[in-house]
Amino acid sequence: MLAYIGRRAILAIFTVWAISVLSFVIIQLPPGDYVTSYIAQMASTGSVVSDEEAEALRIQYGLGQPIYVQYLKWMGQIVQGNFGMSMEWRRPVTEVIGERLWLTVVVSVAALMLTWALALPIGIYSAVRQYSVGDYLATFVGFIGLAVPNFLLALVLLYLGFVLFNAHIGGLFSPELQDAPWSAARVWDLLKHLPIPALILGLAGTAQQIRIMRANLLDELRKPYVVTARSKGLPESRVILKYPVRVALNPFASTIGYTLPYIVSGSIIVSLVLGLPTVGPLLLKALIAQDMFLAGTIVLMLGVMTVIGTLISDILLVWIDPRIRLEET
Amino acid sequence: MRTRTLRSRLMIVGIAMTLIGAVAVGALAQGAGKSLIGKLEGPEVVTDAAKAPKSFHEAPQFAALVKAGKLPPVAERIGQDPLVIKPLHEIGKYGGTWRAGFTGPADFWNGFRCCSGPDHLMFWDYTGDKVVPNLARGLEMQDGGRAWLVHLRRGMKWSDGKPFTADDFVFWFEDIYRNKDLMPTPSAALAINGKQGVIEKVDTHTVRFKFPEPYYMLPDVLAGSTDLAGQWGAYKGMGGFAPAHYLKQFHPKYVGEAELDRKVKDAKFDSWVRMFLAKNDWALNPDLPVLSPWKTVTPINTPTWTLERNPYSVFVDTAGNQLPYIDRVVLTLAENLEVINLRAIAGEYDYASRHMDLGKLPVFLENQAKGGYKVYLDPGDYGGDMIIKFNLNYDADPEIAKWFNTADFRRALSLGIDRDQINETFWLGTGTPGSVVPVDSNKYNPGPQYRKLWSTLDVKKANEMLDKIGLSKKDAQGYRLRSDGKGRLRIEIMTLGGQFVQYTQISEMIREQWKKIGIDLTVQEVERSLALKRTAANEQQLGAWNNDGSEHLFTFPLHVFPFELAAVASSGPHYVKWFHSAGAQGKEPEPRMKELMEKWKKAFGVPEKERIQLGKDIWKIAAEEVYIIGVVGMGPASMGVRVVKTNMGNIPSRMYNSPDGKTPGISRPATFYYKK
Repeated sequence: MLAYIGRRAILAIFTVWAISVLSFVIIQLPPGDYVTSYIAQMASTGSVVSDEEAEALRIQYGLGQPIYVQYLKWMGQIVQGNFGMSMEWRRPVTEVIGERLWLTVVVSVAALMLTWALALPIGIYSAVRQYSVGDYLATFVGFIGLAVPNFLLALVLLYLGFVLFNAHIGGLFSPELQDAPWSAARVWDLLKHLPIPALILGLAGTAQQIRIMRANLLDELRKPYVVTARSKGLPESRVILKYPVRVALNPFASTIGYTLPYIVSGSIIVSLVLGLPTVGPLLLKALIAQDMFLAGTIVLMLGVMTVIGTLISDILLVWIDPRIRLEET
Repeated sequence: MRTRTLRSRLMIVGIAMTLIGAVAVGALAQGAGKSLIGKLEGPEVVTDAAKAPKSFHEAPQFAALVKAGKLPPVAERIGQDPLVIKPLHEIGKYGGTWRAGFTGPADFWNGFRCCSGPDHLMFWDYTGDKVVPNLARGLEMQDGGRAWLVHLRRGMKWSDGKPFTADDFVFWFEDIYRNKDLMPTPSAALAINGKQGVIEKVDTHTVRFKFPEPYYMLPDVLAGSTDLAGQWGAYKGMGGFAPAHYLKQFHPKYVGEAELDRKVKDAKFDSWVRMFLAKNDWALNPDLPVLSPWKTVTPINTPTWTLERNPYSVFVDTAGNQLPYIDRVVLTLAENLEVINLRAIAGEYDYASRHMDLGKLPVFLENQAKGGYKVYLDPGDYGGDMIIKFNLNYDADPEIAKWFNTADFRRALSLGIDRDQINETFWLGTGTPGSVVPVDSNKYNPGPQYRKLWSTLDVKKANEMLDKIGLSKKDAQGYRLRSDGKGRLRIEIMTLGGQFVQYTQISEMIREQWKKIGIDLTVQEVERSLALKRTAANEQQLGAWNNDGSEHLFTFPLHVFPFELAAVASSGPHYVKWFHSAGAQGKEPEPRMKELMEKWKKAFGVPEKERIQLGKDIWKIAAEEVYIIGVVGMGPASMGVRVVKTNMGNIPSRMYNSPDGKTPGISRPATFYYKK
């Protein structure tokens, strides 16, 4: 087992290196550079950047250098623990990401927990009571949840929240607590703002997971070992929860690999619409502004998360599914 | 592919919001928007020293600090020559927090417009037409315009209490402007006919700007949003002055190399230049001494950009109260324009005009009572909220290049646009259809007939003109054929999405309208970096944009003739090179364009009266030749929808709306106050 993890870890390092090269190249692909997008941004707000100024900026940011020189410079800094300076935010990248990262984790974990808390029981119910009224209802709601784009739902909820309840628009904090130091009041404020984003983010995932759980469980329920267990006289709840459900959980475990990066990037549009101070909108803006070091660092971070996530799900699968464990030894 | 889906999703977000707005459109009768446009008014600068207040008052928190001995008395802080502003309606009261939104570190204009004073040496009166003294007590012309004396206010101080003197100008000029690392290329603002001027100290409170040739335009250049206009340009090393006592610690001339390197490393910058410019940034560095009424206390690269009153503000009202009245300005980050608009509709902002979307006007109006605010419209003075530029240098297709350089082709296309339909649909009737010329009251406006010249709907005449120039053959669908026999004449317009004006949608409407004159238009919306690259590479045919700022013809010329290479819509990149290299590079323009450019250049060195005539001539040529089609202008599309809490005082019913006026800076937000 340890050797297995060790092998995977070495592979992971190479994967991450490849990701860093790729991410840097991809960010450079669109036409122009940070300075062109800066000029365009200024133009949209009625301001002018002269040609001389643009040239001066390019020199200052080192944008005229060949791409591999820029990459090596960046890598050289990263090895020393310095991820560079965000061109747009004019702050160290780690600072810019840092303050948003854990808020992202809070929102996304809340969404994930909500998804699982809803999807697993409903999925099991739907499978066990296939074609019952409850199953049809869950299926119906599930498909609607899948079909409605969640950013649209976010907009509608925002508007309704304002019209009906006079709720504060967007964000994770009330304006007066935005910059306050952490306190019980601020945590409570965060918790009050959390349900709507968590619900919206979790809804599409919930629908999907219900369907997956239902389909998997249906497959398992018809297998002979279930019949055997039942004929042995085990109570129905134990028959279902102990064996087929455990097997049906496989896909949940194996998707953790991309659940982790999804936590950060999957919610870009919803976060944008809801005005959430998370990493998603930051990535989008960094890509649009071609803020290379910021975008590069986030993409790199997502890559590392995918790699770690995959590792975790492999280990989890070994633990959940005895069949995989057998193959391993 | 991925960005495309993302973009189209974002577009759906926009459409969804528009739909919500459309539900409420019924509430707004056609054209009712016009009634929201009030009388142009604003505060005034009192220049008569005899009328200046003799004693001064201050905000309670400063009075307490003075009492505790932590701050010098108010009269000492303001100095002998206060900048006196007569508030629009009445003397205000101290206190309160002004809440608004901003979209991130690139939105720094937001804070400069509201809270910088503005800190220009000279500035405009509320009409935006006349230059009045501002931070400078006055200007004095010498030597036939070759030299200008700037008289500073005696006893005026930076926000840290250190004196503001001629040394701050000399430091800026010698150590920032003339430092090749900080400023690789000189500014056109400090040059006349391409020849650089110098800044020198006369005495503590007098500075001289000296030029090799007469520079009559200098007062306008100091007043407008140019490189010589205060600390808004400081982040790029511009400004005309800088706090020498503070910045010297970051400049290699004044500190040892080793010490500077250590500072750069500690602050994690990659060069001293980046660090110096960041330290010199009004919006970014709370430690930077400033001259504005409010100063940054939490920087723009955090979720809340906060500004607080400057204890050494030189601005006072006519009763001697040190300005501003409002204690703090809090701008909260909202990375999405929909969120900003929705927050304004919900009444979460006290005053907002930036980022407010004209398309949501009905929703704004509907929620006025509930949100506790009032909506004002501030139409611009420039002729085109939407203009269409012909790229006169387009050369990828000789046939299209030929027509773009044919005046009657350009005129006919302009005659084929139904501007009233566009105005009603996209401006809710609040704009003015017409050519590119600025508002009739503008001093450079050549006369009312030029608004209509080649700019009214006349399909019959347009068709006749196109037939006559050699485009009479049509295909089965009724579209005109190319004269070189290569099929249908197709032209392309490049637009940008996500702007204050819906260029793409309007262009689609023009595409339909041009079918009647047999012109096949392709509308292509592109991402903005691509747009810049394509204009610079001379790949754009038609480009849609606005000509905001062009009412100040001589400080904002880039939408009048080809002036900047880096433009999202260009009239001709080769002409830009020709113009700036005095004919050494690029391509020589056709005679009338050349005439226009020469008149513009000439205007900087002649007295005002002559300059006004030159300005009129320039607009005449622009309207006659239709190098740029004006569609609808003088509307409130760009930052002209103003949402203000009803308890805010000294709010003008209409204000001059322009980047040069740093609107609402033109209305002196330091005089705004809360009635209760």
